[in-house]
Amino acid sequence: MSFGDGFLRFPDLFPGRRGGEPWGDRTVAVDVAGGPYLFTGLSAAQAAAVRDRFAGLCRDASEAAATAMVATQVFRAPAADFLDRDVRGWEYTLDMEHAPSAVSLAGLRLMARLDWGPHLAGGLWTCEEAGEEWSASVFENFLRVLAAYRLLAEEGAVIHSAGVTGGESAFLLLGPSGAGKTTVSRLCLARGAAVLSDDLNAVRLGDGGARLQKLPFTGDLGDRGSLGDAPASVPLRALLRLAKGPEERLRPLSPAAALAGLVAAAPFVNRDPWRREALLGVLERLARAVPAYELTFSLAGDPWAILQSISP
Amino acid sequence: MSVITPTTVLKRRSDVRYRLIEGEAVVLRQSAAEVLVLNEVGASVLELADGERSVGDWIDALAAEYEGDSTALARDVLAFAAELAEAGLLEPG
Repeated sequence: MSFGDGFLRFPDLFPGRRGGEPWGDRTVAVDVAGGPYLFTGLSAAQAAAVRDRFAGLCRDASEAAATAMVATQVFRAPAADFLDRDVRGWEYTLDMEHAPSAVSLAGLRLMARLDWGPHLAGGLWTCEEAGEEWSASVFENFLRVLAAYRLLAEEGAVIHSAGVTGGESAFLLLGPSGAGKTTVSRLCLARGAAVLSDDLNAVRLGDGGARLQKLPFTGDLGDRGSLGDAPASVPLRALLRLAKGPEERLRPLSPAAALAGLVAAAPFVNRDPWRREALLGVLERLARAVPAYELTFSLAGDPWAILQSISP
Repeated sequence: MSVITPTTVLKRRSDVRYRLIEGEAVVLRQSAAEVLVLNEVGASVLELADGERSVGDWIDALAAEYEGDSTALARDVLAFAAELAEAGLLEPG
């Protein structure tokens, strides 16, 4: 199956450049890791839906426009351009096509492209005029990809993970779906920890070391943002690969094993042949900078106590 | 792929990317989005698979680097090269 076949009626007509008819004249800036991200060309209803979903993260557009590093234009697309999909029992995965200076995306009622020319800029085409389908599906799925690529340029990455913190420092829990990220998050929550996200978190490297930053994309746990709605950033104390077992255990992981876990957990970018070297470089530095362990947990245990036993 | 012998020449596939960290190799194969971790000997083999040196050359190089039974080493390297080829990481040079 070639790019777009699963979502688009006319994949050959995928936009070759950012252009088209905007939905309206509204602008929204969403301030999450790597941003703020500026979106222009929205209708009033689209802007309202984004503000509703990302309450507390939306900034004054004129203020953000001066600092926004990534701008995305939103355009109309006819509903007839998109295939109707029966999504029951189906795991939604965006279709992506990679090129040296662009990434193309196709999904449910969305087409999008990211262009490096040389700065990252986005174009998003949709037939969704408002509501949950627009904000929770079209907009949010695009923003996830945009943040992943933007963070890569800032010595960071979006990691499929759970982030738990006591406030002073944070732990990044790694593992494929079903490994126990949400379960361990719940156990830590019960012991007084805060959970940044149990699905996607942002990691950034800087002069002060690695930091973990909350992203407004959550899994089964939902938003447990006890750190508030601001893009909280906490020093990263350790990487944990999760394993299930009858007895709780913590054993050191080699940097190579940590890197393997990080690469496997870096969505979107880890399949991009043009930006994979850059991703490997960032994640290698992260794996060298932060101690890594395998945490074997049990439902009857107290993983938060084990995490806190790791030396800062 | 045919049977691998000491005269076989293999190279890393063009879509294979890897990083060496503290003696281990983290290997990615682009087309399959797989991530593997190889131990120190595996990492050395990956480095040696340059499409110019034969598997026999690898064995000689590793025998000079690691102590032990050279017959067992040759057997292990041949088997490991076959595994890497089977996994799509190596191809004929």
